[in-house]
Amino acid sequence: MSQTDIGTELRQAAPEPLLPVEKKLIGFSLGTGLVLLVALALLNYFMPATF
Amino acid sequence: MSAIETAPARISWTASETAPSISEDWLSVIIGLFIFVLALAALANIDLIGWAVTTSVWSNLGEALGTASKSYAPLGGVGALLATYAALLGVLSAAAVALKADVQKFALAFTAVFAIAYASWVVGRDANFAAVTPAELQKFGISWSLRLTNEGGFVFALIAGLIVANVFPRFAETIKEAVRPELYIKIAIVILGGFFAVTAAGKLNLATSLLLRGVAAIIEAYLIYWAVVYFVARKWFGFNREWAAPLASGISICGVSAAIATGGAIRARPIVPVLVSSLVVVFAVIEVLILPFLAQTFLWREPLVAGAWIGLAVKTDGAAVAGGGITESLILAKSAAEGVKYQPGWILGTTATVKVFIDVFIGIWAFVLGYIWTNHINATSDKAKISEIWQRFPKFILGFVLTFLIGLYLALATPADVAAKVPAAIGEANTFRVIFFILTFFSIGVLSNFKKLWQEGIGKLAAVYVISLFGFVIWVGLLISWLFFAGVKPPLAG
Repeated sequence: MSQTDIGTELRQAAPEPLLPVEKKLIGFSLGTGLVLLVALALLNYFMPATF
Repeated sequence: MSAIETAPARISWTASETAPSISEDWLSVIIGLFIFVLALAALANIDLIGWAVTTSVWSNLGEALGTASKSYAPLGGVGALLATYAALLGVLSAAAVALKADVQKFALAFTAVFAIAYASWVVGRDANFAAVTPAELQKFGISWSLRLTNEGGFVFALIAGLIVANVFPRFAETIKEAVRPELYIKIAIVILGGFFAVTAAGKLNLATSLLLRGVAAIIEAYLIYWAVVYFVARKWFGFNREWAAPLASGISICGVSAAIATGGAIRARPIVPVLVSSLVVVFAVIEVLILPFLAQTFLWREPLVAGAWIGLAVKTDGAAVAGGGITESLILAKSAAEGVKYQPGWILGTTATVKVFIDVFIGIWAFVLGYIWTNHINATSDKAKISEIWQRFPKFILGFVLTFLIGLYLALATPADVAAKVPAAIGEANTFRVIFFILTFFSIGVLSNFKKLWQEGIGKLAAVYVISLFGFVIWVGLLISWLFFAGVKPPLAG
């Protein structure tokens, strides 16, 4: 496919609904990420950087 | 990065190569370590690379150039420049041979790249651009300055590259053999490991704290950014999976390498990660032109927040680490003008740490995506293999860690008379780190042909990028940087 066809391809691409596995990936990533960030923030609070 | 070598397609600058026997990634480790080891000979009182050219802030062009070491002063500035050019040409031509590139074309192209990039650097060090403090203005006998600091020359090199790409595209095509930002920045990062070690040795507790905080960057990039950008691309913009996954990786993780690693992992067509990578480079340029100055204006009281923010917000190693260098220079200048003199190296070190931490997990993330795609989305016999984690691991990080550990050992565990020589020795290697930064900035500019990119019809991809980057990535990056780095200040100089 030539590069100039890319714009057309992107405009005309058939919709692909989110699959359950994609929803799981997004949800699991966000959930785990937020939990870990909160845990790290607490760790950071109770163990501040030492100089 | 290893991701590039294993990808189904290469970025345009490597188009003439066929099946290189070694990757750019490993070459960067070899070249970076080679320079580092040569520099360490100074510990045995053998100065092997003191002839490297350095550029001072100048008001008289004749005094701009000099040698890294006084022992080579008789060589003169122009002699040092020629020696540095010849040495780099030799080493990088050997690298071109290993990459099976056209060496003659590479040599000619590199000559042009080095000449324009270094000339831009010298122009950027004109006192009217670089001088910052009233004392400096007085010293150079000038009444005004743009106050772009010592590192403003990087911006000049970037602008020179942008001019070449957008005004002289045929010339840009001619020199593309030597336009290799990934190779240049990886060599610089390997050398940076030793420089960061010397900086960290003075404040080991603080350095350890920074490393621990780097973990937050990994979580943010892979688990928060990726999920949100993928959702935005799929749900709001209607991209299919083949485009959305590399795009999410490009915007969220580590730009070019992540997009290419993801493209390979989900078995996307080669054109997909290549176009996403082009977009990443263009936006990285825009960020480098804007974010360091915003950081200087709004974050100069929190230097390490600024350093971490640049590492999280700017995609591609080259632009991020180089942007960290500009940010450091701008903030140190602003702080000095306010009477606070921080030790150099910490802001750049924070940016590099954040970036390296993020890079480490590219292979694992690509494997996770590959596993999901080849088992649950596009079930295929070509399943993701565990060996792909190592294949996609960015090997230059090994070089960074090695020079860091060696530097730390030499600074902390050797007799005092040896340890005292370490900063000067690694300082000479750092001269080359700066030169590779300059080459990186220019190369990134040359790869940023805005008109060509627009003609390729990727406005919709750019829209996702703009919304994700400026509406989410930058601000969440700032929040996380603030959360983990606020109040952590670099040591004071002297």
